[in-house]
Amino acid sequence: MVVSILFGLFTVMAITCALGTVFHRNPVHCALFLVGVLLSMSGMFIILNAPFIAAIQVLVYAGAIMVLFLFVLMMLNVRGETPLLTPGATKGFGILFGIVALAELIWIVLAPGIEEWRPGPAPNLPADFGSPAAIGRILYTTWLYPFEITSILLLIAVIGAVVLSRRKFE
Amino acid sequence: MTPALLIEAAVKAVALLACLLVTVLYVVWLERKVLGHMQDRIGPDRVGPFGLLQTIADALKLFLKEDMIPTQVDKVVYFIAPAIPIVTALIAMSVIPFGDSIQLFGQTIPLHVTDVNVAILFLLATTSMGVYGIVLGGWASNSKYPLLGGLRSSAQMISYELAQGIALVGVVMMTGTLSLSEMVRQQEHLWFVVPQFFAFWIYMICAVAETNRAPFDLPEAESELVAGFHTEYSSMKWSFYFLGEYANMIVVSAVAICVFLGGWRGPFLPPAAWFLIKLALFLFCYIWLRATFPRLRYDQLMAFGWKVLLPASLLNLAVTGVVLVVAG
Repeated sequence: MVVSILFGLFTVMAITCALGTVFHRNPVHCALFLVGVLLSMSGMFIILNAPFIAAIQVLVYAGAIMVLFLFVLMMLNVRGETPLLTPGATKGFGILFGIVALAELIWIVLAPGIEEWRPGPAPNLPADFGSPAAIGRILYTTWLYPFEITSILLLIAVIGAVVLSRRKFE
Repeated sequence: MTPALLIEAAVKAVALLACLLVTVLYVVWLERKVLGHMQDRIGPDRVGPFGLLQTIADALKLFLKEDMIPTQVDKVVYFIAPAIPIVTALIAMSVIPFGDSIQLFGQTIPLHVTDVNVAILFLLATTSMGVYGIVLGGWASNSKYPLLGGLRSSAQMISYELAQGIALVGVVMMTGTLSLSEMVRQQEHLWFVVPQFFAFWIYMICAVAETNRAPFDLPEAESELVAGFHTEYSSMKWSFYFLGEYANMIVVSAVAICVFLGGWRGPFLPPAAWFLIKLALFLFCYIWLRATFPRLRYDQLMAFGWKVLLPASLLNLAVTGVVLVVAG
């Protein structure tokens, strides 16, 4: 009962904030709405017995990445929209991505095996489900290669940023 | 969750809130008194015995003051921003264990609002949200000094958050838990400040920087930025920032006590008393620092954070790992 109410609350919050992120004109307000989306998603992770993921979600995305986003937005002081593409190109891309997203959605809904995804009684979870130790074990055994490759990717990005920012401009 | 548990949690949350706000009032009084004596003055002594009612008088004055709102501010963000630091600090306090369980009405009641098994991460997550109050306040004011103050503070707080988090990981590796109550339980024989001496110092330096206190109070360096991010704030909105700063000082000190200094453990006196004694000691050190050190320059601050504290905390992590493996 309590879980259902909380789920409804977080869902409404997430969708409202997501709409705000897309439709608001002021970039800083958009970024703040995105923080709202991240926080409500973190609430959903807690409902799903994953407090570790919930905390990381807030710590990394809301606490660090979004602050840097805001930092850039404030430095550039972009008030109102500054269009990157011509209006026609924007509309074309919008329609294209809309069709792709719709096709994906239809494909998922019609796919076989969707019955298993219907909400039902919660399965019996192991005692350490969602604990840092359990996540660490999976991450360093089953998913070791993807995990290490991701870390190398991040390292490359860091080195790239350092090189680009150190380059002298003639 | 039974109704009794719900009521217990609600009562504890309200009691914690009240205690914390009263403590903040008296920390302000303590700061003015201690600073006064360190500078060979007396400090406030007019309102009440030893000036004890001075902060209450100040708070009343701030309530009644005219609330100035500049015309070009971003209204919604300008109103929300001052509440963020104090709200996040109060949320963070909910996982701090203040003492062992007590017996009341025939029931065992643990002295913390809630005991999440990822308490350390919860704390880091909520305190990292506190930076929004300063960044947004600086931006929403639509004025150059607050904007610069806000930008400085976001850079400063993110830089020092890293080393702070990594310093805590050393203790997490030793205890194998992220729960604060469990950490306090494991410090029965040895406080972790002994094996994790360097982590403790790194954490404390970062904590001072995180709370924007002297000598790291760059976001509001008067001589350069007027009053930094809160230049355009007055009346109760300004005092919310003020209260938030002190509430955050209490949070980071409480975490240091739980993780490094044995939490509520101590001989003879009841556990909660030991917690308060340690907390008072930390807050005194904060004030002492402010009276002693001049403010750092901005580039010195960033260089110190990234080139000294971060490598030091990583080194501490590596050494801890090696020692744990060798010692089995």
